Amino acid sequence: MKAVILAGGEGTRLRPFTATEPKVMAPVANKPILEYVVQALVDNGINQIVIVVGYRRQRIMSYFGDGDDFDTDIEYVIQRKQPPSGGTAHALYQAKNKIDEEFLVLPGDNVISKETVADLLAEMEEYSLLITKSDIPSKYGVVTLKKGGKEIENLVEKPERSPSHLISTCICSFPPDIFDWIEQAMGDGYYDIPSVIQRILKEKSIKAIRTDETWIDAVYPWDLLDVNGAALTGINKNINGLIQENVIIKGDVKIGKGTRIRGGSFIEGPAVIGEGCDIGPNACILPSTSIDENTKIGPFTVIQNSVIMRGVHIGSHSNIENSVIGEGVVTGANFSTYSEDSRVEADDGLHEVENIGVMIAEDTEISSGVTVESGVVIGKGCQVKSGRTIRENLESDSKAV
Amino acid sequence: MCGIVGYTGPRDVGEVILNGLKRLEYRGYDSAGIAVKTDEGIYVQKRKGRIDDLSEEEIPEHDAGIGHTRWATHGKPSDKNAHPFLDCDEEISIVHNGIIDNFNTIKDRLIERGHEFRSETDSEVIVHLIEEEYEGDLLKAFKNVVKKIEGSYAIVVFQKDSNELLVARNQSPLVIGIGSGENFVASDVPALLYYTKEVKYLRDGDTALISRDEVKIWDENDEAITRETKTIDWDVEDAEKSGYEHYMLKEIFEQPKAIHESILGRLTSFEDVDFSKYDFDEVQFIACGTSSHAGYVGRYIFEKLAEIPSTVEVSSEYRYTSPSDSTPFTILFSQSGETLDTIAAAREAKRRGCNTLAVTNVMESSITREVDEVIYTQAGPEIGVAATKTFTTQIIILYLLAIELGLRKGVLSKDKAEEYKDELRKLPRKVERILDDKNEIKEMTESLVKAEDIFFVGRNINYPVALEGALKLKEIAYIHSAGYPAGELKHGPFALLTSETPVIAIAVKDHTFEKMLGNIGEIAARDSPVIIVGDEDKELKKLADLSYFIPNTPPIFSPVLVNVVLQLIAYYTAYRLDRDIDKPRNLAKSVTVE
Repeated sequence: MKAVILAGGEGTRLRPFTATEPKVMAPVANKPILEYVVQALVDNGINQIVIVVGYRRQRIMSYFGDGDDFDTDIEYVIQRKQPPSGGTAHALYQAKNKIDEEFLVLPGDNVISKETVADLLAEMEEYSLLITKSDIPSKYGVVTLKKGGKEIENLVEKPERSPSHLISTCICSFPPDIFDWIEQAMGDGYYDIPSVIQRILKEKSIKAIRTDETWIDAVYPWDLLDVNGAALTGINKNINGLIQENVIIKGDVKIGKGTRIRGGSFIEGPAVIGEGCDIGPNACILPSTSIDENTKIGPFTVIQNSVIMRGVHIGSHSNIENSVIGEGVVTGANFSTYSEDSRVEADDGLHEVENIGVMIAEDTEISSGVTVESGVVIGKGCQVKSGRTIRENLESDSKAV
Repeated sequence: MCGIVGYTGPRDVGEVILNGLKRLEYRGYDSAGIAVKTDEGIYVQKRKGRIDDLSEEEIPEHDAGIGHTRWATHGKPSDKNAHPFLDCDEEISIVHNGIIDNFNTIKDRLIERGHEFRSETDSEVIVHLIEEEYEGDLLKAFKNVVKKIEGSYAIVVFQKDSNELLVARNQSPLVIGIGSGENFVASDVPALLYYTKEVKYLRDGDTALISRDEVKIWDENDEAITRETKTIDWDVEDAEKSGYEHYMLKEIFEQPKAIHESILGRLTSFEDVDFSKYDFDEVQFIACGTSSHAGYVGRYIFEKLAEIPSTVEVSSEYRYTSPSDSTPFTILFSQSGETLDTIAAAREAKRRGCNTLAVTNVMESSITREVDEVIYTQAGPEIGVAATKTFTTQIIILYLLAIELGLRKGVLSKDKAEEYKDELRKLPRKVERILDDKNEIKEMTESLVKAEDIFFVGRNINYPVALEGALKLKEIAYIHSAGYPAGELKHGPFALLTSETPVIAIAVKDHTFEKMLGNIGEIAARDSPVIIVGDEDKELKKLADLSYFIPNTPPIFSPVLVNVVLQLIAYYTAYRLDRDIDKPRNLAKSVTVE
């Protein structure tokens, strides 16, 4: 059986972390979100995967190649222009030529597990939709079920008042007929899968399959911390690289090849440190932290519950907690962040976020002795001169002198 | 240079051989052919053109066969000059890669003895000579022939009544693939990977008999020996295009990963070469083509980081230089490790008493047996004829070597070394950022397609990068281009500058920046369109018609980034001109002739 993964969109609400790669490539425990989806399929024996790519597709294609590193065959179809809103059905439609039998459709931007896909496969019928329970259903497509609870009655996108706590995961199985439905819907100006599903419901039944397995949605930058924390709970201890004297490693910690942990450092899992990093001496890495490859963490620096992306350099005597630090960010010594409940301004307005540190996008350079207050989002490529305290968001490529 | 595939086993022989040949197309592609054992004798299909021109349907199914993709050295590409060749009685068939130096004398003698030659190639003498020597034992005849021919060769032979393959190797690559109930032989690993990952590399002078169930090998003294079986750790898909339009573009995009792999582990401790064994005050770099440009860049890196005076020699000219009393440590670059000129230079350097180090991308390649030390660039297989990621990783190795030597000599402080290592760690992402701008760079090439001549200029460490940029453009876009030190233009080439000759100028903010500004001003004054690649600067922007600024990096590391921009410029210029980018005319990937 084939599976089509939709990975063509930018994921605008994750800005500024989508400047050079789409949301599906955002790292969770040092692996792109999309890799969790691919892995879940491969673990269920599905190894013909079609990925619909669009925004910054080169990043996806050079990471996954033709799937060989993931024990699967991956083909790509390109969604060249996105329709004005939604567009998931339009994206799926691009894969039409690759499909001639029943297949799966999955969004590329939710972290799922092998068991999630297995739940669908176990009860799948021609048209099926995988649903799950959510505490905040109104952010998603809310599903009501027919009597007996086995079939979808209706699907309402982001209702003001939710008729149930069940939501659509957007993971479906379809026969090739789906492309006829999509053609009709697009003819009437509807380009998203929920609209197509609503049409189908008028004439056919769609099986509702409930899962309580992993399905995590990262929408905003701060969501990356929760997703990362959840993904880290499943890791196994695996230490490579060079561990110098007097390093203490507690709990489940993964350390990649070519990484050096210098003397006196303390690392408490769950935590992952990628390949080619240089940590310490006397650095302190606390639980739920991911540090991606080619990163350098200076002496006496403390990092807790944070996502540190590739190629970051953090100076000595710094404190980073509950924060997301984008690729290639460089900070001088004595960089500190606060963490508390804050109002954070995202691409679509203000949000109340619990216990959040800072979010700094790629290639921003911060000189020594800078403090960034909680909930601040700094865009990509900014420059912050030494001794400054940053209290408000900085737009990408701005200078704080 | 050519590609060879042989198979004995139960599979559809036509499919195995054509599949293997396609993966060897980078070795040459002006004619192709296949010979298969059948019950009625040997079936041969061969023609001028690509492997795709062979008709798979017509190939009979049987249990042994050989195939060949050719790049002409003796005799024009044509149907009759394509391999495989048959003897007069059409009972023996061979394919050959390499050059038989004494083929003329052998051929004259064989003609006297009544043999009829059907081609103009040197290779055909081999099959007639086997026929001449044959007295009922093909293996014996084959071994006699191998003793009589001089030159370089990889040969595969079979006879119509047997499904055994006989092979011999001398200075041309040949690798045996081990299957179960079947065995393979090929010029290079990609041809085998689809079927097996277990391989035996033959050495020069080896002959072997390959049957379905066993492989017997004899060394140059005809002693039966075993060669170690190795497991290849890359996959067939690694050698495929994964959604990119050309291998070259794919390989350009693989550079961030290739850099990462090259520095991985080597930043914490450099263990490839134990330099305490060697004592030297100077270094010489020897290579051809793109690899020689890596050598020129290396000269600047070594002199700056390790304060070791260095020279660069082109492999094919090295032997004409006069040996002196000094014995510089000799570093040879060859992507394939099969570049005959460079292998010859390695031998010559050794003869002159130099210690030698080869930097190559191919495990167990010929050059690795000629030198004292080997460093692998770990770039993964490179299929596009124009070298991209292997050049980049060669330069990365040079930084690592220079840092190691600088520390050893005490001219580089540990602190400074750490700083350089930090910069190396940042390079993969910086390259990625340039790749993100590919569309912007593509736009810049619009003006280049009409040009008949293009100049590349740079100073200091970016002068060789100008040479490499010009070479890349020549190779794949077929536009005449030349690289110059920026200060040299006014000593001649200025006479050629008009509004029709674009100049691509590299300007980074090192101590030559002011001079570079002056040079660019002079060029702009000749009305030549100026394209600037370098560090962001207002003055530069004013002078340039088009510009691309690289991510901030210390000047010593700028060649890696600038070169990626120039690769993309060459690629997109060739793309606009609809060139055969992965297989430019008259060129082949590894040059195994002098």
